[in-house]
Amino acid sequence: MLSRRAAYLCATLTIAVLPLVFPDAYWRTNLIVCALNVMLAIGLDFVLGYAGQLNLGQSAFYGLGAYASTLLIMRLGLPFWVAFAAAVAFAGLAGIVLALFAMRLRGHYLAIASLGFAVITYQILLNWISLTQGPLGIYAIPPPPTLALPGLPPIGFRNLANLFYLVAGFALLSYLLLDQLIRSPIGETLTAIREDEVSAAALGINCAAWKVFAFGVGSAVAGAAGCFYAAFVGTLVPDAFFITESFTILAMVVVGGTGTLIGPVWGAILLTVLPELLRGIGDLRLVVYGVALTLVVLFIPGGLAQAARLALARLRRAEAP
Amino acid sequence: MTIASDHAHSALLRAEGLCKSFGGVQAVRDVSLAVPAGAIFAVIGPNGAGKSTLLNLLSGVYRPDAGTVVFAGTHLTGTPAHRRVRHGMVRTFQKIRLFKHLSALDNVLAGFHIHAAIPAWQYVIHGPAFRQNHARCREEAVRLLTFMGLERRAQVEAGSLSYGERRMLEIARALATAPRLLMVDEPAAGLNAAEVEVLLERLQMLRRNGLTIVVVEHNMELVMTIADRVLVLDYGQQLFEGAPAEVQAHPRVIAAYLGGQAA
Amino acid sequence: MTVVLQQGINGIVLGSLYVLVALGLTLVYGVLVQINFAHADIVTLGAFSAYFFMHGLGGGYIPSIAVALLVGGILGWLMNAAIFAPLREKGSELLPLIATIGVSVMMENAMLAWFGPIPYAFDSPYSNHVMRLGGTFITLQNALIIAVSAATIALLYAFMKFTFLGKALRAVAQDRETAGLMGINPNQLVMLTFVIASALAGMAGAMLGPVLVLTPFAGTSVIVKAFAIVIIGGFGNVEGTILAGLVVGLIESYTTQYLGPGMIDIVVFVLLLLMLAVRPTGLIAERREENV
Repeated sequence: MLSRRAAYLCATLTIAVLPLVFPDAYWRTNLIVCALNVMLAIGLDFVLGYAGQLNLGQSAFYGLGAYASTLLIMRLGLPFWVAFAAAVAFAGLAGIVLALFAMRLRGHYLAIASLGFAVITYQILLNWISLTQGPLGIYAIPPPPTLALPGLPPIGFRNLANLFYLVAGFALLSYLLLDQLIRSPIGETLTAIREDEVSAAALGINCAAWKVFAFGVGSAVAGAAGCFYAAFVGTLVPDAFFITESFTILAMVVVGGTGTLIGPVWGAILLTVLPELLRGIGDLRLVVYGVALTLVVLFIPGGLAQAARLALARLRRAEAP
Repeated sequence: MTIASDHAHSALLRAEGLCKSFGGVQAVRDVSLAVPAGAIFAVIGPNGAGKSTLLNLLSGVYRPDAGTVVFAGTHLTGTPAHRRVRHGMVRTFQKIRLFKHLSALDNVLAGFHIHAAIPAWQYVIHGPAFRQNHARCREEAVRLLTFMGLERRAQVEAGSLSYGERRMLEIARALATAPRLLMVDEPAAGLNAAEVEVLLERLQMLRRNGLTIVVVEHNMELVMTIADRVLVLDYGQQLFEGAPAEVQAHPRVIAAYLGGQAA
Repeated sequence: MTVVLQQGINGIVLGSLYVLVALGLTLVYGVLVQINFAHADIVTLGAFSAYFFMHGLGGGYIPSIAVALLVGGILGWLMNAAIFAPLREKGSELLPLIATIGVSVMMENAMLAWFGPIPYAFDSPYSNHVMRLGGTFITLQNALIIAVSAATIALLYAFMKFTFLGKALRAVAQDRETAGLMGINPNQLVMLTFVIASALAGMAGAMLGPVLVLTPFAGTSVIVKAFAIVIIGGFGNVEGTILAGLVVGLIESYTTQYLGPGMIDIVVFVLLLLMLAVRPTGLIAERREENV
């Protein structure tokens, strides 16, 4: 359809225009949440859709990134971007540790091990009161520092539009990074591992090492999202990183389509925006997620991406004589 | 057709005293072999003789309870399967394991990754080395597919290929790893006579190009046509190792096959 | 010393309930090699059914356990028919698991919308009856739990080992195709397994109701431990699950006593992760090399 360059250009333009279309705080907030969810979703897709590992621990890496950066900024006084880099590295490292543990595990064992990791992380965040202040949370987290670029007026991030540009920009950058990796031999290696590990090993691929790599990358992206989340929301409580969050992200990835990288982007956007549109449902938001996830798995396992492909194929057939 | 003497050729692959048992059943018992470089070495025996287990031991899928595996002078006994491929040893499977949802071309491309010569940063920013590697791999993949007769099926999903085509694809993919030794497990199983012909022809061509091949087969006739050396297994033990002509006359071998040729 | 014994009894009570929940998981895994993530929610629904049977319809406690058993069985039937059976053809390892995650999220939040987040006070008439046992105390409720669980587990064990159906189940678990060739209908057996497993879960819910905090998320607190138990005991391994369940129950009660309730999940899961790192196939399972 569109060439890649055109697609990226489109995406950039869309990001630039969105806050102008939605000048109110409510929708701008939603846009930022969207961007965060996109990052979480593509991070998980890299591990699940490409390396084929069902990682249920994404909520943990999200939380670790958020708490690590917040604590570094507020307890140690580190500048935002230094704390950001450290927190991303920390989340990536946590992902690597989990992967090393789970190296010999397949399928269900890995899923449960990652879930266990998420539960432990949540409990630690909840109970290590001296460090995280537990359920009371951490307050008054500052937004990223105002950018003073030469020749331009200072860009403050209390302004929601600017914050959106920052987060969405990073989401786009993360997407680009993952896209490049996927379109390289690394992507093909991960796909081979996903399809048949024994076969891949028989071709010389070190499956364990690459799984660790995929986990590290996926969790680093989640950690980055966590840093922005903390700066955006201002108040950090462990409940934001309960294991339900992992399931939500999973739903976004599966509904969007695990076979592509763009699918989960749409899944994240859809599942973030849709409940807001159906304003009345409120509490039933998660029921919608559950239903969507189940139905997609049962009927269109390839998600929106597959549905789009089928629709396109049908259009083409209709055009042909 | 036998090689003059395997003493003239150094053994590319040497195994000594390999043993493997599963829960009390001894699948392989004290098997030793020496595969001369540039030869086609066949491992034959009735069903259940331990041939596939032996192959799994040689390729590193199983760890031996005892014994050693030496490849081109390097001890590989404890080395994991994937690392043996880097040393130049590759195998195919009796039960074909292809990436079913990938195209034939993509399957073969998967074999090139271990030799990709790209600096790490170029995986993210696709520079000249990346593009060169990309082009070279594709050319080579097409060449391999053509060699195995699959050039017109390159874009077909592997799961949709015919059984015979899938066999050929598996071999093409294995060749992508630029091996010095190719081990094929029951390659003729399920192929019709014409396909077997083509297969044997290919293997002989590969040998002429310098590749060493180990073939595990239970079909004696097939093996006799192309093998330079034969190892006969029965109940996990070796009955005989030597030239094919001698194998057929060997009384214990005949007894093992119940007085004739296997199915 | 009496504290140790007291917590020991509490541990066994909890443990036997965990065993009931975990047995369901392990039985399903044994025949289907699949995990039903929504298993926990069957436990919760079982608890709620028992609660409403008692407090809404005025039924007795013991009959309410039977109601929960029935509800669980029906849910199991539904889940197999709607999810596992259709997905069986696709042969994917992860898809059914993901589908059940979807069902679990759906059920939990539907219950949340319906029942609300405020815990329900599920009192059984036996909770207040305390008996003396040497230096320790045990409520009649807890004694009932131990008795019912032990009886159920024993019955199930006998069923699996000695009856034709039980053996057929094990046959299907070991080799589906061959079992089919022997005249056993694997699909029917899988359904039977599911129904049994879910009925157990429902029943466990009815007995857990008075012990746990009854909210729509009651199941979640149990399921993660149930997973841990199944892994520690070995997927598909009944003896291992029973042993592991009791061990986890004991760990929980002693951890609560000496380290504080917040540490329970951490201790159990660290144990789980250690187990996975060291012996992925569980306590009692045999080692199996991959068949290539």
